[in-house]
Amino acid sequence: MKEGSNNMDKQPSAPVQISHKPMGPKIVALLIVVLCLAIFPFVVRNRFYVSLINQMLIYGLLAMSLDVLLGYTGLLSFMHNAYLGTGAYMMGLFLLHAAPSSLWLSLLVCVLGTLILALPVGWVQVRTGGLAFALLTLAFGMMFFTVAWKWYKVTGGDDGLMGVPHPNVSIFGLVLGNTGNPVVMYLLTLAVVFLCFILTWRIVHSPFGAVLEAIRENEERASFVGINVRKFKLLGWLLACGLAGVSGGLFILWRGYIGPTTMSAFAGAGVLMMVLLGGMGSLWGPFVGAGIFILMQDYISTMTEHWELFVGLVVILLVLFMPRGFVGLGDYVTRFRKG
Amino acid sequence: MNIAVDIFLNSLVLGGVFLIVAIGLNIIYGLSRVMNLAHGSLYALGAYASVTLMWLGANFFVALVIAPFLVALIGLVIERTVIAPMRKRSIVYTLILTYGLMFLLDGLVRYFWGNEPRFVKLPLFLQDTVPILGTQYPVYRLATLVIIAATMAGLMLFLEKTKVGITLRAASTIPEMVSCLGINMKLVHIGAFVLGCGMAGIAGVVAGPLYSIDPVMGHEMLISSFVVIVIGGLGSLRGAVFAALLVGLVQTLAEFFITDLAMVIVYMLMAVILAFMPRGLLGEGRFE
Repeated sequence: MKEGSNNMDKQPSAPVQISHKPMGPKIVALLIVVLCLAIFPFVVRNRFYVSLINQMLIYGLLAMSLDVLLGYTGLLSFMHNAYLGTGAYMMGLFLLHAAPSSLWLSLLVCVLGTLILALPVGWVQVRTGGLAFALLTLAFGMMFFTVAWKWYKVTGGDDGLMGVPHPNVSIFGLVLGNTGNPVVMYLLTLAVVFLCFILTWRIVHSPFGAVLEAIRENEERASFVGINVRKFKLLGWLLACGLAGVSGGLFILWRGYIGPTTMSAFAGAGVLMMVLLGGMGSLWGPFVGAGIFILMQDYISTMTEHWELFVGLVVILLVLFMPRGFVGLGDYVTRFRKG
Repeated sequence: MNIAVDIFLNSLVLGGVFLIVAIGLNIIYGLSRVMNLAHGSLYALGAYASVTLMWLGANFFVALVIAPFLVALIGLVIERTVIAPMRKRSIVYTLILTYGLMFLLDGLVRYFWGNEPRFVKLPLFLQDTVPILGTQYPVYRLATLVIIAATMAGLMLFLEKTKVGITLRAASTIPEMVSCLGINMKLVHIGAFVLGCGMAGIAGVVAGPLYSIDPVMGHEMLISSFVVIVIGGLGSLRGAVFAALLVGLVQTLAEFFITDLAMVIVYMLMAVILAFMPRGLLGEGRFE
């Protein structure tokens, strides 16, 4: 413990400094994107599209949190959607049984609850190596799924949680609207996702993020420098799970329903595919990936029932031919320009 | 007393099936450092192959011999097309790729055989029961134990006594050295993958009449065999034997006492063992 906390401050600032490129253009680009998204529901009045983009943002947040694990810490999790489910169940149960109208309190409960569930799992997980870690996530994911599916009294089993109340969005007593309204819900999602993105961006580009990347690059060396690898892996894991919990809270507000299928292994493959499509280790890539994935899912599931076959094929082709995803395409372009 | 005997024998059967699947995974991992997440789907393919073979008029025992070869053939195709290009890249990519492969194979199973569960028609003498220690036990389950024991004995003899087996074991410990001795490592990798897939095929045929044959049968088996190899130690064959019997026993007991959440108990067991022995019972990579 001691070495770990000491090294936090002394941790080589050099690599962090190097990665500090001029931030101006990036911030401007981010603000433009967020502004465009914010005025979108007022320009396009079709509720279907508003809801679709809402879904993309929620899954984008989930994919981004998986990217923190996969792209920055180098840990592969097949169960990340289980934490979306956990967050959603927590929030739904709290809204149903405890306080049907307090939005912020229930979001807090949802994140804390997800973290409390993620802690013992993570504690066991970080004790194992990289490969066993991935296999364990499959087993634990199955465990979460089984509990959600079979614990009928609490989770509603197959039927899931239905009729979750829509609380009002209010800041300091000022009521801004009800989450039952798609536009209000959309803006709430956008605001929360934006905050989470900024927060994660800051964390990932802090010395803490540098430590995570060091662990990804070479775990042994990282431990030789005196980094407490297990502790930092666990912190990275908790960060990712907490963010997934937030996306779960947004999910149940948006959908008003959560069922065990959201937590299945198949849904987990979807999240992985979003990260792959977008590109690992960029934070914004997964949002693009989630957008593409949800659009595809929307079109293809109306055409064929063998969606599973298609997902499998696309994942294989992506890994074989486009392992860096959408973000990687940009690199190809710059390389091409430079000759 | 009767129930105790039943539970004991059932746990042996379940553990045996886990063992065959898990050993296949361990052989592939131990020899070529590839973790195949599509292994459960290959197990399902084995079961479906036996269904189709028997629909074509083959006897159960003929299917038991032919189906694993068909699965091994599919394994060969998979190895050559998608696994081989992945060897130079990080294991994360292999995992994601085989995860996609799992969905592709499951989708194909659904496409060709549909969603409904299938049943295998056993020869008459296997459908009987025999009295053992005061309980009537199905003959087929005993036959399963014999088949599993024979498979394991065959594998042991192959690895311990034949020249190829000894080379394989050497290749799992020091691949560079074996490569220097003029052994083609590419062939070793192919051989390991095909052998592992064949094992999954055997397990699929054997398990078909025991449990239901449906497109998701591979998922639970995949997870269970992961639990087994993680508890036993990745790549450790002897560890897998202990772990498979342990998991079989715990799962059978849990299913007897609390039906619904039985699997949760198994995962708890795994978590507890890993918390104290992160490398599994026998440690990683002891290919013996």
